[in-house]
Amino acid sequence: MRWTGNIRFLLLLPAVIWVLAFTVFPLGYSLYLAFYKLEQKVEVKREKVPVLDNEGKPALDSQGQPRTKNIVNKQQVNVATFIGLDNFRRLLRDPQVHSAVRVTLTFVLIAVPTELALGFLLATLFNQHLFGRPVLRAIMILPIFATPLAVGYSFFTIFYEVGGPLAWTGIAFLSHPNWALFSVILVDVWQWTPFCFLVFLAALQGVPGELYEAARVDGANFLDMLKEVMLPLLTPTIVIVLLLRFAEALKLFDIPFALTGGGPGVATQPLSLLAFRTGLRFFDLGYASAMAYALLAAAMIVITLFFRRLRETYD
Amino acid sequence: MHGFKRSMLALPALALFAVSASAQNVEWKDDGTVLLKLGEAYNNAVIETTREELGSEFGPDKKPFEGVTITVTVNGAGPKGGISGPLYQFRPIWEELSGGKVNIVELPFEEHYTKMMLDLRNGTGQYDAFMVGAFWYGDVVPAGYAYAIDELQKSGKYPKWTYDDMPPALKTLHQWKGVGYGILNDGDGQVLYYRNDVLADATHQEAFKKEYGYDLPNPPQTWQQLLDISKYFNGKNWDSNDADPDSGTVLHLKVGQQGHYHFQSLSASFVINPGEKVTRTQNVYWFDPEDMKPLINSPGHVKALEFLQELHKTGPSAQVGWSLGEAWDYFLRGKAIFVFSWGDVGALCQDTSRSKIKGKCAAAMLPSSNEYYDFEKKEFMKVEQPRQVGNTTGGSWHGVISNFSANPEAVYSFLSLMAIRPVSKLMATVGWDGVDPGFSYQFLEEDGGTAKIDDYVKAGWDANDAKTYTHAYHELFYAPTMLTYLRIPGSFEYWDILDKNLSAAMSGEKNAKQALDDTATAWEGVTDRIGRDKQKADYQAAIGYQP
Repeated sequence: MRWTGNIRFLLLLPAVIWVLAFTVFPLGYSLYLAFYKLEQKVEVKREKVPVLDNEGKPALDSQGQPRTKNIVNKQQVNVATFIGLDNFRRLLRDPQVHSAVRVTLTFVLIAVPTELALGFLLATLFNQHLFGRPVLRAIMILPIFATPLAVGYSFFTIFYEVGGPLAWTGIAFLSHPNWALFSVILVDVWQWTPFCFLVFLAALQGVPGELYEAARVDGANFLDMLKEVMLPLLTPTIVIVLLLRFAEALKLFDIPFALTGGGPGVATQPLSLLAFRTGLRFFDLGYASAMAYALLAAAMIVITLFFRRLRETYD
Repeated sequence: MHGFKRSMLALPALALFAVSASAQNVEWKDDGTVLLKLGEAYNNAVIETTREELGSEFGPDKKPFEGVTITVTVNGAGPKGGISGPLYQFRPIWEELSGGKVNIVELPFEEHYTKMMLDLRNGTGQYDAFMVGAFWYGDVVPAGYAYAIDELQKSGKYPKWTYDDMPPALKTLHQWKGVGYGILNDGDGQVLYYRNDVLADATHQEAFKKEYGYDLPNPPQTWQQLLDISKYFNGKNWDSNDADPDSGTVLHLKVGQQGHYHFQSLSASFVINPGEKVTRTQNVYWFDPEDMKPLINSPGHVKALEFLQELHKTGPSAQVGWSLGEAWDYFLRGKAIFVFSWGDVGALCQDTSRSKIKGKCAAAMLPSSNEYYDFEKKEFMKVEQPRQVGNTTGGSWHGVISNFSANPEAVYSFLSLMAIRPVSKLMATVGWDGVDPGFSYQFLEEDGGTAKIDDYVKAGWDANDAKTYTHAYHELFYAPTMLTYLRIPGSFEYWDILDKNLSAAMSGEKNAKQALDDTATAWEGVTDRIGRDKQKADYQAAIGYQP
């Protein structure tokens, strides 16, 4: 019994190490960085040692001098200075952050509801008897499997304003700030509506047919059924999809990175792209960490409030 | 069994093939000359050099770096792409000469700096050298990440080239406080390319004079003249290549894709106050060297940006989302009268698979503004004669050796092989390789260089295009007044902020003043974060300011 108990912990150990190494440690380290100014430097000491030939004698170079090889000794010197809440205070007065928050919120507030609404409508349509439904459904869900970065580059060619397939519209898809943001939203909606559709369709198909029959007998039309049967039964699914999409949309990165580069100006630069550039292009790691934590905190607050409200409704 | 026997027999044949294949790129002649044989990308060109020029380490029976593998990073453009291409093409030659191996790591332009800095900051030492832009020096050299090459250069052991072949403006970009770090490769600066055939057309000259009241200058001497000409031609179908209307000036303005260089080159003559030396008000562009306060939102800069906004209207509106390639192709297809850009365009004009304007693609020193903002008097000054302001705008992409490399000699010998005169001269005449001219042996004799027009004609150039091109670059790099280059820690970040705000201005999101005021405010933040005194010292050293 005791042996079984010990091995239980032993078997859990790889998972624990994994979580500690790849989840807890990065979280903790980035939190540490947010409160410190880190200056990294590597000191190099170079030592030349003679190269020996096969007989163990020093090999000579073209000028008859002993040939040498380099031994490079490196020493990492990190200086961390505690700066308290400076990075968080900086967030409040940084126009780039304000703009990125505005872009992120605009994106989330337009893209996510659109994806849910379109997904739901398509699911109700596919929940009917439809000619070629299996094939159409398979085609519908294809965008989910595409890599967002590749999707961004593909749509770059579609939105190309001189000679592109949509050039005839005369719309400045990529060169006007508002249209560029619209393009990013459009691509995201194209890619993620199928996910909403798929989940809603599965949920709709789980609704017993008798409920529709009963509603029909009571004289309900489609809108009545939507309001009285489908929506109440699907609310938990809608909430889950909403939260998943909300969390995912907050992390928006790949599509603007590939499609617009965050531009024109910073018109399509979301917070995650700004954090990435701040941390890994300009190596302002503490400030980038503060941005990431601010985003995490905002998302957690919204999600917590949402769940609380939901719990109140169901209780 | 049969298969095994056959493969056993094939082994010696394969080995023989391998020996002959590996020995086919270099030919050692008895008279001391050495032939370096290039592949199809360079039209199987054969470069003649000498044993002396290749340095004492290389020889017919020598393999000085046998067993050594070096890794070099470069902006990703492929085996026949700008800057990366020559590495691929010269790799087999160096491997044959040295016995070593070269790994070429291509990184997208947006990620190259990041990957390099991660490697250097963490001391990983994964890469032996980087093909850097000169604006990265401020982050790399003062931190001790780069390997000084003066000793290697003096040793005489490796392929020989000299900083003396460079104009002073380019030489500075390869050194830091007088110590050499960069290995000669590319000379960047922006010149004006224009359609001389269209500007010389009598019908257009007459119509232009009627509309603007003065003779159509060919080429324009001032930016204001260039704007008039651009406006005149924009929207007209002045080219017989297609039935669509054509443009005046084409620009590449996509954020993060080097669009801010257009502004730098253009604004220089609106801003820089000429003078014998660098003072607080003369020959400065970026910061006040006394207190590191940004000058980027000065009235001169603002006027230049307003001008660029106006000029941008004479090109396709889509150019706000265009990178280099798209803007260049638009010009090469004969769709615009002007583009101001790097040396690549002149060479690409000659590539008839991509260009419709070979023989019609003239180049000139950039025009100048007819007024500039005087920092001393705090007012705009009119100029009678356009004054030439040169630039080294761009990266002048070249190799810098990592201080963590265990094989700096091997890397140096590889990168120096591409820096010897006959190699560098050939590379500058070829369009696809991204290596632009700037060194004495690439300029024509009439400009004080040693190249002949035949060198360019043999490489497929139109003689007139080549003459104006090399002359324009000579004037650009030896101009009496130069745009100072920003090479301090954080340069990349300063430029990124400028780039985003310029993009916002060009897309109409911000007006010129607002965009540059926002840039200045953000720059102050960067300066304070890195350390004002430290930045001031580096800036003063970089521009040669004596307090």
